[in-house]
Amino acid sequence: MKQPKWSCALLLAVLLALSSPVSLPAQGTGTVSGTVMERGTNAPLEGARVTIVGTRLGAIVDARGKYSIRGIAPGATQLRAQFIGYESQDQTVQMTNGGSMQANFVLARAPLQLSGVIVTATGEESRRSVGTAMASIDTAQIARSAATNTQQLLAGSAPGVSVLANSGQPGAGATVRLRGVNSVSQGNSPLIYVDGVRVFNGRTPTNVGGRQFVSPLNDIAAEDIDHIEVIRGPAATTLYGTEASGGVLQIFTKHGRDGAPVWSFSTTTGFNNMGHVGPKSDTTGLFFNKCGGTLQIGDGTKFQDATCPSSGSWLRNGPIQRLSLGVRGGTQGTINYDVSGNMDSEDGVLRRSGANRKGLRANIGFKPTKNLTVDVNQSISRNESNGFPDGNSSNGATLNISRGSGSNFKGSGCADTTVVCVLNDSLFSSEVSNTTNHFITGMTLNYQPIEAWTNRLSLGFDYNQADIRYLTPFGHIRVPLGQIFETLWNRQFLSADFASTYRKQVKSNWSTSTAIGAQVFDSRLYSTDLQSDQFAGPGDPTLISGSLRQITDVSDQRVVNAGFFGQEMVGWRDIFFVTVGARVDGNSAFGQSFGLQTYPKVSASYVISDESFFPHRFVESLKLRGAVGDAGKAPGAFDAVRTWSPVAAEAGKPAFTTNQVGNAALGPERTREVELGFDATALDNRINLQYSHFDQHTYKALIPVQQAPSLGFAGSQLINAGELLSSGHEIQLSADLVRSRRFELSGRVGFTALHTEAGSLGGQTLTIFALGRTVVKQGLPVPSYYGLQVQNPDAFANPVVLDNQPLGSTFATRIWTPGLSVKLKRLTLDAQGEWQLGGHNLNAIGYQNANLAAWQPCYDIQAKMRTAAAGDSSGLATVNALDRARCTINTKIARDYAFWVESADFFKLRSLSLTADIPPRLLRFGARNGSIVFAGRNLYTNTKYTGTDPESADQRDDTFARRDYYVFPTSRSFTATLRLGF
Amino acid sequence: MMNTKHLTGCLLGAGLALAAGCDLKVTNPGPLQDEQLNTVSAFPALVNGMSGDLSVAVGNYIDRGALASGELAEAGNFAAEQQFAIGVIRPEDVNPDWANMQQARWSAEDGLRRMARVLGTSFDTYVDTPRAYLYAGFANRLLGENVCTAVIDGGPAQSDTVYFVRAESVFTRAYNIAKALNNTTVANAALGGRASVLAWQGKWAAAAADAALVPNTFVFNAIFSTNTARENNDLANQTISRRETTVFGTVYASVFKDPRTPWDTIKTSSGALQTGQDGKTRFFRQTKYTSLGSLVPLVKGAEMLLLRAEERLRAGDIAGMTTFINTERGLYTLATVTAPATTAAAWTLLQSERGSVTWLEGRRLWDLRRWNAEGTNTFLAGRSKCIPVSTNELAANPNLH
Repeated sequence: MKQPKWSCALLLAVLLALSSPVSLPAQGTGTVSGTVMERGTNAPLEGARVTIVGTRLGAIVDARGKYSIRGIAPGATQLRAQFIGYESQDQTVQMTNGGSMQANFVLARAPLQLSGVIVTATGEESRRSVGTAMASIDTAQIARSAATNTQQLLAGSAPGVSVLANSGQPGAGATVRLRGVNSVSQGNSPLIYVDGVRVFNGRTPTNVGGRQFVSPLNDIAAEDIDHIEVIRGPAATTLYGTEASGGVLQIFTKHGRDGAPVWSFSTTTGFNNMGHVGPKSDTTGLFFNKCGGTLQIGDGTKFQDATCPSSGSWLRNGPIQRLSLGVRGGTQGTINYDVSGNMDSEDGVLRRSGANRKGLRANIGFKPTKNLTVDVNQSISRNESNGFPDGNSSNGATLNISRGSGSNFKGSGCADTTVVCVLNDSLFSSEVSNTTNHFITGMTLNYQPIEAWTNRLSLGFDYNQADIRYLTPFGHIRVPLGQIFETLWNRQFLSADFASTYRKQVKSNWSTSTAIGAQVFDSRLYSTDLQSDQFAGPGDPTLISGSLRQITDVSDQRVVNAGFFGQEMVGWRDIFFVTVGARVDGNSAFGQSFGLQTYPKVSASYVISDESFFPHRFVESLKLRGAVGDAGKAPGAFDAVRTWSPVAAEAGKPAFTTNQVGNAALGPERTREVELGFDATALDNRINLQYSHFDQHTYKALIPVQQAPSLGFAGSQLINAGELLSSGHEIQLSADLVRSRRFELSGRVGFTALHTEAGSLGGQTLTIFALGRTVVKQGLPVPSYYGLQVQNPDAFANPVVLDNQPLGSTFATRIWTPGLSVKLKRLTLDAQGEWQLGGHNLNAIGYQNANLAAWQPCYDIQAKMRTAAAGDSSGLATVNALDRARCTINTKIARDYAFWVESADFFKLRSLSLTADIPPRLLRFGARNGSIVFAGRNLYTNTKYTGTDPESADQRDDTFARRDYYVFPTSRSFTATLRLGF
Repeated sequence: MMNTKHLTGCLLGAGLALAAGCDLKVTNPGPLQDEQLNTVSAFPALVNGMSGDLSVAVGNYIDRGALASGELAEAGNFAAEQQFAIGVIRPEDVNPDWANMQQARWSAEDGLRRMARVLGTSFDTYVDTPRAYLYAGFANRLLGENVCTAVIDGGPAQSDTVYFVRAESVFTRAYNIAKALNNTTVANAALGGRASVLAWQGKWAAAAADAALVPNTFVFNAIFSTNTARENNDLANQTISRRETTVFGTVYASVFKDPRTPWDTIKTSSGALQTGQDGKTRFFRQTKYTSLGSLVPLVKGAEMLLLRAEERLRAGDIAGMTTFINTERGLYTLATVTAPATTAAAWTLLQSERGSVTWLEGRRLWDLRRWNAEGTNTFLAGRSKCIPVSTNELAANPNLH
């Protein structure tokens, strides 16, 4: 193994720091103060920022709308007032030595900020010049969402964003997609940047017992996030290069602001709660809601659970506690800081389940020279989540409890000795734990030697460590001698990112912006899977407690991606912009015959509303935009090489077995996207409409092509073979329906239509997950359920079954995200919902439990079948063919998972919150502002899906295909939060 | 203030320095690249790997083979196994079995080619050469006995008997080299393997001759171990740990105290008779393999006696057949049987004895298949008789289209 060589990057950083003698700017004596209010309502815009242009001097507007900036040098001083969601405004005052000036601002709402900036691969770019769609999740949106982590924040936040929760296990990570699927084999997770530093965008390994993974993305507390920029599609992410075709999430945490220290404190209390589990017709809720007394399954088998809690239900309310404390401030023009800490604790709705999180974050900015700013951002967090065995695990909670008398945990001690006695509480003796430590450190230097030239260098190190453990203790009913599975996982991501931009005004009408940059990303993975079996006795075992110990897998990989880009933007009259750029990448995982990869892009933006001919009667602003660009995804380390695996054979002797065929011509897959759209505001900025159409074509797709097993390599080999097509429409509409100082009513709705389709795949149908009946096949959505289908589902007849039938898209094809916000004086009510339509899920619980006579929707049907088997078929006259296939009790009739592929359409009320701003007269202990937020998440679900949750999927089965195999559903939560500022 | 040019130059150089000055090499220790095996020092592990691949193929198939041939009945929830149990073997359900068997064959045959290439003239005297040939022979026999169609190295479909021809050839090489190297165990195993594949090609006299050279008490096993999960005997896992398959419902459920087909019952802590994983089927637990490390015979002297018995029966010598059967039964201290009065009864006895001796060894489906073809057994009537070409092979092998 080669030694890490970070020396070049670190040396550079040290040299840079040492060669920059700190020199504080001369301190002036002038002061400017004033107010920042909203146009129309004249309400104070608390949180708005007023800065002295060209300096780091600035101040934050307080609850009364006031601000004050001291230490201003004499002379002409340009002030700028900015607030997200409003048009920024400049004023110039003539500051005198020791003088005191007044400057008041009245900002107009402008959901479409043509004058703002957005952070891209080249640095900050004017929004009006960007030729692709932009979406931001702003501070206000974060505050009202009641979300506790980033993935919850993203759910329903913007068009093109889809989030599937996967499970109700505490700490379980979700599946996040931007504009759907454009890769079969390389994942579709967006790249993630935190404060300009790229971090690992994947997930931990999946817990063997809990069968869910942890997402490091959720280590960033929602309280710490200032805003998120969502960059969708390759046309927008071209300059991010290889790996960026899944889009980019730019997360910006809160940063310091000049001024006296401002303390913020928040505390949350509440509880998690589970409503009904499983099919609505099942009054026992898969025996979760009701486990007391004598129960029976469909064939009449009676059972009792001697360990059912005294409440008669396995479900409980799980308390939630959260604390957050932060301080921010700064010395004008020299240093600013934002430091925060938070502690979260919550219990799940089942025994032993819960999660604890602790985090510290410190963002420090300083200005060592007149033209250089340095931002150092550090965060560290620790998560401990405890769950229960679940999913496709024979010790699993949902598997055993929902099977009633068919539970694997049988025993004695029930009051009625004539019935089957189960002891499901025993399953909770297993320990499913995920402990993660996450450290992010980044330093960004911005150097601006002259007004037109900006240079940015970011160095980052992202360290993820996880201990993923599944312990079955000694004395367990099913595994009497006990067992541990443990994965020790460490992921490190080192990045260096340099960009330089030179802007120039050419004559009066023309402007140019030239950018170049280079990046190096060094990704390392150290992972060890361990197993220990057969403990000598009870106690708290470790991996050496078992008499059988195995190292079942080890990964020790390093992959480096290095690239550079160039971009030229030409602007005409600040109305029309054309941008041309390209990125060139090398990746150490590419095959030997592949060299550098080039990803080109071109985009245009036309602010047509700034033309004199444009009628402004109803529409204030309209920007037309279009872009085409490429991005890619790299294969994994050594995917190109033929390899053999060292294994044990002949009772522990060293041996080799085939591993991978190899493909020397392997290269990245490429996705080319064409995007067209517009951004418009109308009716005095009350209506904001954003529309985008995109068309993606992934070619040279990395397809895991099954090798002929007779050639000795049973698995598949990646080749650049296939084509994937994806297109869609995204609409974001928001409307301020009523706007006054006392009452505001606003609505918003996002809509995404996605169409994915597999193009040519070399004639193959790619089986993604056989038991999940999931394939990628030419002409079908990616991926699709595929297999047996009952052709006469509604007929009252025996099923007519055809094989090789498309059964539907795995992922949603339409997503609606309606939201409503009502503000009455100091009260704000906000609701955010989400419809996901067109997707499907495989209800494997139904499949399995129907065979065990433990699926309530089959009870009556199977009773009629039993009667029919005894000679009276009259009852079957009202049983349709699909139900006959799903609920069959005849072992001669093929049962099949495919019959249980169901529509996963759902509506969920993602969040509902009521925020009450505390009147200043009621504030105590020196608090300057405060609010109380009552919030709920996932309060209501409407779906016809009959499994536990249309979002559920066992993440050890497969992370691309989805199968709801005894996965415990997501719960709802109710919280009350007190926020105070000092 | 810092010199502006200095700082600017430093920043501009940063990108190039980072891109050019750092170590960009990928590392991924663990898997071995193919060419690293081209050394004699790697060959012991390479041949162990052949044995390991064969054990994986055998260990993962014997459960399904038992279901397809009525040695065990289904008591669990696995969809494919339920199909096997009702006599339906579908291409989509046999991907792992087909792949494991093919990998066992290919790794042995490819390994032999590699060894011959590297060893040159010393190939025939290399200590592990006969072992490698032996594993190639058993892998070919496993395929020949269980699949419907032969496919070699991505080639076209051929008669399944091709595997027996190849097995005979490599068993002969194994025997000759082992004999020259005085490796009696491998030599006997090769003889036993060759005896069986000679028989399956209708060369009964030659088969009996080879079988006669194998000691009655000789056993050569596929190796299983609790050392790692890959080395586990999966049938033991499915029956001992998971209760997925049961003896209940098979002919062996009515056979008691036969050391060749042992099974028992277990009770729950409440005293009830344990059911299978499906929660309803009675669970009669096979106890032939009681551990994840239990070995699975590939060649047994007892089976050799039954080959000789069958050769006698085919020759019309029922008394001779009975003699060999009683010798075999004596190995298990079972009572002798009298010679059947009719040929049909003789076949019934022979088939029963063979079923008991090779119980749960992945051999029964072939026996039932060949006897079905000859009209002496009807168990497979209306049922799948062998493993079809898997969907993965069909999809990936252009020579099959």
